[in-house]
Amino acid sequence: MRYYIGAEARLRRTVEDVAMSVFEAWNYEEVITPSVDYYDLFEQGMGQREAQRGFRFTDNDGRLLALRPDVTSSVARMAATLLSERPRPLRFCYAAPVFRQQTQSHAEWRRENTQLGCELIGVGGTSADLEVLRLAAEILSRLELQSRYCITINNVEIFNGIAAQMSLEPATREELRRLIDTREAAELQRLLRQYKSAEGQALTQLTGKRDVIQTARRLITNERSLAALDSLAELWTEIESLGLQDSFEIDLGDVSSLDYYTGLSLKIFVHGAGTSVGRGGRYDGLTGSFGRAEPAVGFVLNLDALTEVLGRAAKQD
Amino acid sequence: MITIAIAKGRMQDSALALLARAGIRVGEDEVNSRRLALMDETGQYRFIFVKPADVPVYVEHGIADCGVVGRDVLLESEADLLLPLDLQIARCRIVVAAADPEAMTKVQGMIRVATKYSQIARAHFGARGIPVEIIQLSGSVELAPALGLADMIVDLVETGQTLRENGLTIVEEIAESTGRLVVNRASYQLKAEEVSRLLDMICRLKQD
Repeated sequence: MRYYIGAEARLRRTVEDVAMSVFEAWNYEEVITPSVDYYDLFEQGMGQREAQRGFRFTDNDGRLLALRPDVTSSVARMAATLLSERPRPLRFCYAAPVFRQQTQSHAEWRRENTQLGCELIGVGGTSADLEVLRLAAEILSRLELQSRYCITINNVEIFNGIAAQMSLEPATREELRRLIDTREAAELQRLLRQYKSAEGQALTQLTGKRDVIQTARRLITNERSLAALDSLAELWTEIESLGLQDSFEIDLGDVSSLDYYTGLSLKIFVHGAGTSVGRGGRYDGLTGSFGRAEPAVGFVLNLDALTEVLGRAAKQD
Repeated sequence: MITIAIAKGRMQDSALALLARAGIRVGEDEVNSRRLALMDETGQYRFIFVKPADVPVYVEHGIADCGVVGRDVLLESEADLLLPLDLQIARCRIVVAAADPEAMTKVQGMIRVATKYSQIARAHFGARGIPVEIIQLSGSVELAPALGLADMIVDLVETGQTLRENGLTIVEEIAESTGRLVVNRASYQLKAEEVSRLLDMICRLKQD
């Protein structure tokens, strides 16, 4: 529960305006989705585990409602139903509060976060992935966070391919994912030795620039991971040709939302914030659950976290 | 500059000794002073000394980039952190102890467990379907069975001396705990070079 008064409110408004003006310049149309909707929508969109973090209550007839825990679910359904006849690609952006239950003691304590987000629906491939990465980079540099931010990128299919090759039980796959996510190197090595997975070694050297891809390519042999690695390499080449490589980092260890993302996944970090201030990726499986399967990619920035960082930086100057 | 939060007490001396061997030294006078924040000799590292349970908090919030803390504390906390290195220092065990070694089968009705580690205790008994009543204490847990507050305790043991002196024996071991280096998720990316230099320095030491 947070009040913004006077200068703080102005700063917050400015950050929002900057983001929305960048989205608009890239032809993203603003959408405003309902704050309250049936809980089913969010469970279909986000998966049960994430959706359950939403605040839920019942309607007159007993049906379960939720205060929206994300905007993407609503946009995906809208694209698949209301706008199913519209020519593709669709480009949408929004600035809207989302509500999630949080453990009080955690660094991510806000129950209410305003997301500045965009969705690019109906196109796949590197060019679409690159478009949203460029958008994120442009917003951050317009906020004068140049050289103070880092966007990490990964392709979740690298992990999925390796895990499939190892044919792991769901529980072991989750254990592997967890060890990579928390970088428990020694425990990870132990698990990989047990399964005699040479490929898995690629996941122990995780972050860096182009060299990460080269190292991984020497170790990985399964087709699925190799295809993902190729598309990540292609994306990295584009990032380099735009001269953005100093602000980007490849992080094969970003495996936090495997059930949601289907290709690219990205996280945004800014100096002065202890947790990520944004995230996104490709979720080609999402619109399918609303009846029209098509590629989609997008990201969100956390307006409240950005305002805090910028406010603190302004005070220090 | 990197800020490292170190758990005060048992962990502090072994952590500083390990870091000194890795080449990160703090002047002796500094250590002996009661200051809670110190710089190393090169000025590249700042140390803050906080209560063990607070280490995950400082690191998760990004106030400290890294931390040195026991696995027991991490199991108890739900902080979202990276855990790249097991430092193999301050080794100890988290155990279930009781006056009667067969207490688990003998106690009638609900077993009462006194502990500082309520999450660990709940998870341990919960996973095996044993209903227990957890009594949260903040110290001198070994006293609880003798005074009739609890049937068993879940606690950290190093040598087992304190347990023996209080007439308790180990019923089962839950987990081993050693000091771990933890890293904030944002620092891991934003200070990638400095963090990986620190990790390398410690890794090299472990290989020798």
